[in-house]
Amino acid sequence: MDRSRRDFLREIGRITAGAPVALAAGAASAATEPAKGAHRWAMVVDVGKCIGCQACTIACIMENNVPEDSFRTFVSTYEVAQAGQVNAYMLPRLCNHCDNPPCVPVCPVGATFKAADGQVLVDADACVGCGYCVQACPYDARFINKETRTADKCTFCSHRVEAGLLPACVETCVGGARIFGDLADANSAVSRILAERRNEIAVLKPEEKTQPNVFYLGLDPRFAGRVDGAPTLWRPTADHE
Amino acid sequence: MTSSITEILYVGRDPAWAPWAVQYFFLIGLSFASLALSLPGVAFARPAWRGASRMALLGALVCGLAAPVALLSDLAQPGRFMNFYLHPAGSSWMAWGAFFIPFYLGSLLLYAWAALAPDLRAAAAEGGILAPVRRLLGGEARPGLVRALGWLALVAAALVALYTGVEVMVVKARPLWNTALLPFQFAATAFAGAIGLAILFDKLAGDNEPATKALLNRLLAKTLAIVVAIGAIWFAAALALPKSSEAQALAQVANSSVWRLNALWLAAATLVPLVIAAAKPNGSGWLTGVLALNAAWMFRWTIFIGGQDIPKTGAGWYAHPLALGPEGLLGIVGTAGLCLTLFIVLTTLIPWTGRASVATRPAAQIGA
Repeated sequence: MDRSRRDFLREIGRITAGAPVALAAGAASAATEPAKGAHRWAMVVDVGKCIGCQACTIACIMENNVPEDSFRTFVSTYEVAQAGQVNAYMLPRLCNHCDNPPCVPVCPVGATFKAADGQVLVDADACVGCGYCVQACPYDARFINKETRTADKCTFCSHRVEAGLLPACVETCVGGARIFGDLADANSAVSRILAERRNEIAVLKPEEKTQPNVFYLGLDPRFAGRVDGAPTLWRPTADHE
Repeated sequence: MTSSITEILYVGRDPAWAPWAVQYFFLIGLSFASLALSLPGVAFARPAWRGASRMALLGALVCGLAAPVALLSDLAQPGRFMNFYLHPAGSSWMAWGAFFIPFYLGSLLLYAWAALAPDLRAAAAEGGILAPVRRLLGGEARPGLVRALGWLALVAAALVALYTGVEVMVVKARPLWNTALLPFQFAATAFAGAIGLAILFDKLAGDNEPATKALLNRLLAKTLAIVVAIGAIWFAAALALPKSSEAQALAQVANSSVWRLNALWLAAATLVPLVIAAAKPNGSGWLTGVLALNAAWMFRWTIFIGGQDIPKTGAGWYAHPLALGPEGLLGIVGTAGLCLTLFIVLTTLIPWTGRASVATRPAAQIGA
């Protein structure tokens, strides 16, 4: 199958899958077009519901044309042996869209910025590809895109959210582990979870004081920072290099 | 309750700063430190420093002219470098550096021209195919102007030293970098490398006088002693202050056999030339020069490439084998080739020694 045909089929699939939601949300958003800055987008990840299927990883790659061997989001997976029992532990990772993002002030040309609705975004037309933001991110959530040769990262699928759709990873999550919503709306699912389960909510690397907008339910403190464990790094294209 | 964690699935991240960054920080460090070493003999006409300072000026020019090439090569979008000047962000040390670099290079070139103009005029008078170029660039001795431009270049060099150190130091996400000692470590190792380069250049293009060699080796021993002292302070901070970035960095690498080897190599790269330079300031030939350059380069390689091998969230290490293409080995060899080319051009055009050089004139006349 040639690339254009494959891309065509991919687009068909994308449009088909998103159409009902798009139509419904599009109608709503057209009627009540919110002002920029009216939202504060956030995500809650319920770790207990993640089964490590990597559907979010693949959906993100397909939606955002992420190059081979690069990831805007992925589910890091661990084996935890404790008291004679061995369990799996899954931790979805992505840009934390921090309120105090260390990647923004280091950008020498202002290409990385905090959008009015809370997302941390990159203006790919202005980015010089210096990699300073990649160094500054404490979550290893950024990379230099080998094709665009600019800094790349999760955008909370801002193009989909603006169209009234959910981020691709959220929409595809089979276990409902990723919950996306508007913290500016007190009735949104994320606001309700943060209010009702305040004691269970945690963020990654709280000591960095980055004020993430990605929150975790059921986060094991051993995985909140750099994981102290035996490494088994897997690189999908390592065998082809 | 004991538990063990094995990472089953994680992803690798390529280093955002390639070996080009190592080359840039190495060369710009050698350049600003060489500029400072050139001042006593060239700008302030200290007779004992004459030979050493002229070789340091040559080093400042070679490395200063090559460094921006390495810096641009490390950008994924080098064609957009104008964005540094069209849309500078004052919150970024890198943005400030984009202004400090041309300020430094401009003042270095003006200072070098003012200092070398009499030599070029004298060499032009002797004829040869380069005489028209030398005549064009040559001029009369202006000691006051050389001193003024020397001070200006020193200010610019200090700004470059400041930004290159702080730019890396402020990266809180990497404990190995996020230490207040890093700018001092960069500066001290830059001076050690610059002295090593002057020793090397003196052998290749200088008067190769024993007094110059002894002066440089004694200075090298003192500088390397400072490098060792800063390293000792880093270890003391790591051991005494459990919450410090130094302690976090040490905890990250302490269990790695690769890092233990790195530490041993760094210690040897510093201590061996220190001992040789102190014990035998004369007669060590190229050795201390090459070893000092190795120490300066090795330090930056360990900080930048080694530092990026440490995942910020994952367990273990990223594996970053050195690429053979322009982003890796070829880039390193290419930068060395550029430095060699600049060395050949500058030593062909400018008389660093011999009859046409100010080195043959009395010191009083230079400072007059």
